[in-house]
Amino acid sequence: MREHPSVPGTVRQEDPATPFWRGTVLLRIVTLVFAVNTIWFHQNDYKMPGLAWLVAGVMTVWTGVLTYFYGREDGRRGWLVVTDLVLSCALMFSSIPIVGADQLRLQAPLITTLWSSGPVVAGAVHGGRTWGIVFGCLVAASNLFPRGYFDVYLAEDTVLLIGAGLVVGIAADGARRSAERVRQALRAEAAAAERERLARSIHDGVLQVLARVRRRGLEVGGEAAELAVLAGEQEIALRALIATGPVATTPDGETDLRPRLQLLTTGRTQISVPPTQVLVPVSTATELDAAVREALSNVDKHAGEGARAWVLLEDLGGELVLSIRDDGGGIPEGRLAAAEAEGHLGVSQSIRGRVVDLGGTVDLTTGPGEGTEWELRVPVGRTK
Amino acid sequence: MSVSVMVVDDHPMWRDGVARDLAERGFEVVATAADAESAVRIAKAVRPEVVLMDLNLGEQSGVSATQGITAALPDTRVLVLSASGEHNDVLEAVKAGASGYLVKSASAADLVAAVRETAAGNAVFTPGLAGLVLGEYRRMAAAPAGSEPAPELTERETEVLRLVAKGMTARQIATRLTISHRTVENHVQSTLRKLQLHNRVELARYAIEHGLDAEG
Repeated sequence: MREHPSVPGTVRQEDPATPFWRGTVLLRIVTLVFAVNTIWFHQNDYKMPGLAWLVAGVMTVWTGVLTYFYGREDGRRGWLVVTDLVLSCALMFSSIPIVGADQLRLQAPLITTLWSSGPVVAGAVHGGRTWGIVFGCLVAASNLFPRGYFDVYLAEDTVLLIGAGLVVGIAADGARRSAERVRQALRAEAAAAERERLARSIHDGVLQVLARVRRRGLEVGGEAAELAVLAGEQEIALRALIATGPVATTPDGETDLRPRLQLLTTGRTQISVPPTQVLVPVSTATELDAAVREALSNVDKHAGEGARAWVLLEDLGGELVLSIRDDGGGIPEGRLAAAEAEGHLGVSQSIRGRVVDLGGTVDLTTGPGEGTEWELRVPVGRTK
Repeated sequence: MSVSVMVVDDHPMWRDGVARDLAERGFEVVATAADAESAVRIAKAVRPEVVLMDLNLGEQSGVSATQGITAALPDTRVLVLSASGEHNDVLEAVKAGASGYLVKSASAADLVAAVRETAAGNAVFTPGLAGLVLGEYRRMAAAPAGSEPAPELTERETEVLRLVAKGMTARQIATRLTISHRTVENHVQSTLRKLQLHNRVELARYAIEHGLDAEG
């Protein structure tokens, strides 16, 4: 149920629910004192006082066991929490022979009194709201069953037990979620700092040399010019790489579409994006990224030698528009249909299929000598 | 008369390379600077026609230098040279008064052409900058209205910016929209001017609100 997300290269964080566990243990000790006092107070009314003191002993020992195990992170196990529930319910049922059915019907307390509320809190802390409600129901049932009647006080007990399970569960869930968010933020911050360090070092060293090689090589000409072209290509790729933010994901499973697209920058492909984040679900980003790659590889294959391409990402609020334009020879009329008929599904499948699956539309403008322009429009269900 | 140029970059290798490229092609490189502070100081002294500004000036940003130079020297034009993808810095520099943007990996021929255009008073737009400016106008339109109404693009300006962002040249755009080349230039410049004006108004209001306008 509860996992410890481990961060590579960092110390594992403390269990965010630790304060809740401490509270659970404290509650157990306080209610034990209460339960033992109640037994001492009522011992002369019990049918089996000896057994009552045995139950008190069991509760004391078990409280000690829980104090030990719940006090350590590796001791907070699901089976222990469940065992606690089963034992507590069993002790509640032992009230029938110990206290006596007649006494119970006269509103005598169960032998465990408040001590038996402990498993509800422990279950909620361990497993969250669902566990809290389930544990609350089971303990509430064990609270009703031995008595054989139902009144407004027992109704209050029932509501309190289930409600406590729910509330503590929600709190524990919340603590874990916010701890996870903090952890993600710290990780992102560390990654960004490291990235900045690398980028600066690349910018100050490698890039200056590449730029110099490109400029000088072109001036010298000949074989040096070939080297200059190679250096220029690497310079562009490296600049795009270090200027692009990390491809990160928010806790809500959204990601900025821009860095993915910007990594497609080459000497012949320019990418234009808005100045602010374009957040889309990761799956949408992956599909759009793939569609753009497909369009660009189509440019490489068919637009002709030296053709250049431009990608423009626009965020219209409720809709994203991705334009991919090249200045190549264009696709002759009927060429796409013919390719489809021959079974080459590359373009139509990868671009149209992906975009239509996202609920979008694809518009293709092309003609001999006019280049090709894809316009992909994809709705994004955002309120922003 | 040759165009006077100042080169601002914190890398000597790059600075000298660019300066030599420009000198070889008939430009007069009147000064160089390695940081934002001395860039503003030197520019005020030599009053170049064009400043080639790197945005990545170590600790300081080329944005503040751009701001300082355009504020002090209305006749000096700033052309930003930067790595692609430094979105916000490029946009900020343009808002601060830069009249164009070129990626650092541009060829020497493109660089020379861009400096010439800038000196002639034209805006030098890469497709990347057009995408940023388009996005900035849309961001302002979507943002909750402040006390100062945000500038908006006309339909035609949006159309022109989109075509620039898709890599079309001014001439191609003129043909596509059946308007003159000059009209295309005007549309592009007007999108920049509105942004810069808005930025100045915002800065002034900020200064007044925070008491920075106090004399002395």
